[in-house]
Amino acid sequence: MAAVATCGAGAGGTESMAAATSKSNVTSFQRRGPRARGTDSGGPRLVSIAGTRPSVRNGQLLVSTGLPALDQLLGGGLAVGTVLLVEEDKYSIYSPLLFKYFLAEGIINGHTLLVASAKEDPADILQELPAPLLDDSCKKEFDEDVCNKKPESDIKMKIAWRYQLSPKMEVGPVTSSRFGHYYDVSKRIPRELIETSKWHGFFLPEKMSSADKVECCSLTPGYMKLLHFIQNIIYEEGFDGSNPQKKQRNILRIGIQSLGLPLWGDDVCCSENCDSSHSLSKFLYILRGLLRTSLSACIITMPTHLIQNKAIIARVTNLSDTVVALESFVGSERETNPLYKDYHGLIHIRQIPRLNNLICDESDVKDLAFKLKRKLFTIEDKVLYK
Amino acid sequence: VTPSEGAAGCGRWSEMLESLLALGGLVLLRDSVEWEGRSFLKALIRKAALSGEQVRILGCEVSEEEFREGFDSDVNSRLVYHDLFRDPLNWSKTGEAPPGGPLGALRAMCKRTDPGPVTIAIDSLSWLLLRQPCTTVCQVLHALSHRTPCPGHSPAVEQVRVLGLLHEELHGPGPVGALSSLAQTKVTLGGTAGLDSAHIVFRRPRQRPIHQTQWFSVLPDFSLDLQEGPRLECQPHPDPYTSPVDPTTHLTFNLRLSKKEKEARDGLTLPFQFSSEKQQALLCPGQGQAASHIFYEPDAYDDLDQEDPDDDLDV
Repeated sequence: MAAVATCGAGAGGTESMAAATSKSNVTSFQRRGPRARGTDSGGPRLVSIAGTRPSVRNGQLLVSTGLPALDQLLGGGLAVGTVLLVEEDKYSIYSPLLFKYFLAEGIINGHTLLVASAKEDPADILQELPAPLLDDSCKKEFDEDVCNKKPESDIKMKIAWRYQLSPKMEVGPVTSSRFGHYYDVSKRIPRELIETSKWHGFFLPEKMSSADKVECCSLTPGYMKLLHFIQNIIYEEGFDGSNPQKKQRNILRIGIQSLGLPLWGDDVCCSENCDSSHSLSKFLYILRGLLRTSLSACIITMPTHLIQNKAIIARVTNLSDTVVALESFVGSERETNPLYKDYHGLIHIRQIPRLNNLICDESDVKDLAFKLKRKLFTIEDKVLYK
Repeated sequence: VTPSEGAAGCGRWSEMLESLLALGGLVLLRDSVEWEGRSFLKALIRKAALSGEQVRILGCEVSEEEFREGFDSDVNSRLVYHDLFRDPLNWSKTGEAPPGGPLGALRAMCKRTDPGPVTIAIDSLSWLLLRQPCTTVCQVLHALSHRTPCPGHSPAVEQVRVLGLLHEELHGPGPVGALSSLAQTKVTLGGTAGLDSAHIVFRRPRQRPIHQTQWFSVLPDFSLDLQEGPRLECQPHPDPYTSPVDPTTHLTFNLRLSKKEKEARDGLTLPFQFSSEKQQALLCPGQGQAASHIFYEPDAYDDLDQEDPDDDLDV
């Protein structure tokens, strides 16, 4: 075997040769990694951070958004270093749920949290996170749901046979639930979990005193303070690799609630030709720069229905990586439309990023609706599950 | 209790005002030129004062005498009035006006109050919005409705209600939308011939908003008399989704199959379904089935010469 003879060079060559001849005769190349060797030192180690996994398509490191159905739609999860922008629904009923799922997922995985809000105290937001569902109890919940659906849909599928071949949305828990967990919205997260987790809160009314009205580089003071806060946390806790730590690397999950509200001092929602029209764009640009150079992921909810100037919405969408919009039926004429009676609203995936890629990981399913059941927030394909 | 109120009516208007005041936070009253809201605001103030709360009023648009007109003496004694109408820019420099202008006055109200439920009425928010940036007004209102307990007092939940009157015709959709998103309760005043209506939207946090429409009239002593809606309101507007036309008529296919037809349909194999019988048929053709033939009629232009066309080449 000529191949074996030539790969004799290099440390550990004899080891791998022996392994190759003894194990399989498929290939003589043996991977130099922790698995092939028994030793601790040397060799490149695979850095695996809790709660992350590499994307199957391009190896990008992903974190879960807390909602496995949404992870599936975004191509596996949210990439580390990117921004997920959620456009709020009109009465802000369902977007806080996505926000809380994201944070709850961070607590379960042991990530550090940074919660920023101008409306609610971050401590209050954390108290209201949903409780995680343990595997055996949630299996029971899903089984009863699935049983109700199965028999009728099988009969109807006989003529529409093509739909049987299309991928089904993951409604139930997957077997390996280390990535992406399920939560019970009707219960609160246990206090011990919050107390053992590491989190930083930014509540704007506390951070801003009425005395300082300094406006520098046309960025609203509230945004400036938030950016400084985020930058400090990233630097001090070493998420950007600045403090080489002995301990395990971790992800920073940033959640910013209702960005763009007048409570932040930004008047994008108040007038069409606002004075600080570039403030929001600058904030997102700088934030994205901070995120790209650190191990963090960010969710931002924004009340885009209040923004008067549509050009700003387009700019904001371009400056974010992943954009998801929620449209609830409350108060609209669709509430009484029998077509939509099973659902509470529509979810639109407006943008998915192309990270180190020429194409993006779009899912084929485009017509999506969501429903908030008593315990769960589910996203379903409107056509199939009728 | 005025003579026109029956026992049922008394309960109902009291209940309605209570539900408006109970939620706390910002109650936004949107009025317009046709349907003025100051009387409704005064009705709410009267209700709050009668239930023993402190009521602080920031008056900007009308004078204090005009505002206090119509209230009973016990209601008037409970109102604390901050007058911004007489001297809004503090030119007379008497030292009465609080520092910081109208927003400073609001912030002072935020800090100074004793424990217990407090109602702050702003007449009107439009006046503030026209003189101060909208973002500052929103921030102050938010601080008012969500103020942290004063140090030294017990950290009990302090009910603060802010009643704000907004003349929606004076502002564009931006400020109105911003204030509506901040408000816990939104009352839009309207009506038809002679009767006033209030369309109320209750927004409890994280719950669906509740819509309600109440017809009322305000009596001279600023108590409310609830009315039934006008008769003309109950027109059934055509519902576009429940049309009486039966869509199953004039179809080109049969919707009602007989039992035999249903069985025949179930027994049919679909063209692209790969069952085991089909697999057998494909693998072993000709077993009891005629092989397929191709029938071709040669055209005038077809050349059926079987010779090799390459023979003509001199290669």
